[in-house]
Amino acid sequence: MQGAVELRGVVKRFNTFTALRRMDLTIRQGEFFTMLGASGCGKTTTLRLIAGFELPTEGHILIDGQDVSDVPAHLRPVHTVFQSYALFPHLSILDNVSFPLTVRRVPRRQRLERARAALDLVQMGGFPDRKPSQLSGGQQQRVALARALVNEPKVLLLDEPLGALDLKLRKEMQHELKQMQRRLGITFVFVTHDQEEALTMSDRIALMRGGEIIQLDTPSGLYNAPSSLYAAEFIGETNMIPGRVVEAGAGRARVEALGGHFDVACSEPPAAGAAVTLTIRPERVTPVAANASNSAGGRLVDVDFIGTDLRLVYTMSDGTRVTLRRQNTGAAPPQVGQGAQLGLAADDLRLFVT
Amino acid sequence: MSGQQAHRAGPGWFTRVFAHGLSGWVTLITYIFMLAPIVVLIAFAFNAGRSTVVWTGFSLDWFEVVWNNRHIARALQVSLIVAVASAAISTATGALAAVAITRRQFLGRDALGAALAAPLVLPEIVLGVALLVFMSFMGVTLGYGTMIIGHVLVSLPFSTLIVRAAASSLDLQLENAAADLGANEWQTFRMVTLPQLMPAIFTAFILSATLSFDNLVMSTFTSGVGTTTLPLRIYSMLKLGITPEINALGTLLVVANVAILFLVMGRYLPLMLKTSRR
Repeated sequence: MQGAVELRGVVKRFNTFTALRRMDLTIRQGEFFTMLGASGCGKTTTLRLIAGFELPTEGHILIDGQDVSDVPAHLRPVHTVFQSYALFPHLSILDNVSFPLTVRRVPRRQRLERARAALDLVQMGGFPDRKPSQLSGGQQQRVALARALVNEPKVLLLDEPLGALDLKLRKEMQHELKQMQRRLGITFVFVTHDQEEALTMSDRIALMRGGEIIQLDTPSGLYNAPSSLYAAEFIGETNMIPGRVVEAGAGRARVEALGGHFDVACSEPPAAGAAVTLTIRPERVTPVAANASNSAGGRLVDVDFIGTDLRLVYTMSDGTRVTLRRQNTGAAPPQVGQGAQLGLAADDLRLFVT
Repeated sequence: MSGQQAHRAGPGWFTRVFAHGLSGWVTLITYIFMLAPIVVLIAFAFNAGRSTVVWTGFSLDWFEVVWNNRHIARALQVSLIVAVASAAISTATGALAAVAITRRQFLGRDALGAALAAPLVLPEIVLGVALLVFMSFMGVTLGYGTMIIGHVLVSLPFSTLIVRAAASSLDLQLENAAADLGANEWQTFRMVTLPQLMPAIFTAFILSATLSFDNLVMSTFTSGVGTTTLPLRIYSMLKLGITPEINALGTLLVVANVAILFLVMGRYLPLMLKTSRR
């Protein structure tokens, strides 16, 4: 299937600094695609390359099957929502939103009609004559969105658009953006450093680091099966447990860790003696009976009350801290200092060679 | 202990006298020094006699003399034509240069920026002589053309600086956004960059026009037959002796300048404050 956006062997260098090293990527038609990573990972550079603000040093960029590598920004069928909103301060809300139509010489009547419809879409139809400076941050964000959508672009690029909003508004906008994307069927390419936001909104996520995609997967794939220690650490909360392989079997490894032995499901187990790090999500750690297999004993040192959840932090016999997360059922939390046996199931543990 | 502390904390008599008492007086004296000559000038414009130092009675006669002086009317017309024409050229050139210098990467950008500011530090008389020599070498007759060129030369550094300051504080992201939304370079300039620079461009125009209107040195070298400006006319009138006619003319000029100033401030200052507050 032809992608909405395709990057073929794209390299971007700024003088001596390599921002992107050979990126091959196909973003599918109509998907909510997120580029996630810490600052400096190349996610914004990728977005700017697609928008046309930067030209690739090597490789080709295709939008809707057309090679646009040399096409200037204003002729590309993509629009961007900027983190700073970038609304034109001297124009009214309505003129801001109709700007893409004005420069394309759409007749006035049609222009105003479409701009009003776009403003209604983002629930900002109320005050078309105000200036951007008279709006709150969240309202400006909506207007910027309407302006980027009014010309019905093939692809909408969003550069950390929710970064400047407070938490509650942010959650609302996440939900609304996702709904809008489903309804309009436009391909969204979203850039963020917020892993929770990426997990909530995306169909697929490209986790980037050092100018490369290190994992491209669905949110659940990325969360449940991180392919690297970095991915495991970056996405969500995770327990990191140092250990040593004592026995490698078919699709299984036996690892010595936390003063006990653990079986770990693993497609290519490393040889015996290899130093490894085991990871497990806090919500997969379970209290078990004292003699259960794949378990170790620890002492409760801290209880965090999060509202929906409780975080229980244990110190294990070898000094490693293991966090257990369980739903807040209303029952009184266990006392700090109590001992417990923690079970780490073979299928929930992941193994990375260190 | 506590008494000692209080003594140390309070300002000494020296500070009290100079910082609090004297500074007020110094300010007042400075203002008197600056404004007194103008007040005296205006006062004697209403003098009935021919003297500009001895008061003999109130009259508006000298204003009538100014009004009826054909030379002054003609000089005023020349001054206005040269001021408007040179300010228009200076502002347009300066604005485009400022946008190029702040917005684009090209070879010799910094050199151009410095060269445009150079007339600020060059003595105007040197510029005037150089231009006069150049014009006579080229065989150009002195007149409106040479004078307008000369005045553009004087005001260009100012208009460039004013628009540059405004252009460098513009949000680059806005131009990116315009391109992203489909505007070509010309549309971006016309619909996004230029409207935001308008207050600065207007200020540059007013300043250029004022500089041209007041100019004496450059005008001396570049005026031809029939292009005597108001300052040149006043200067030649002085040679024939000072009468309250000059005071009356000066008073009218002061009133006109202040009126323009208030017009500009009233209309554009709130607008500029509003944009800079964002």
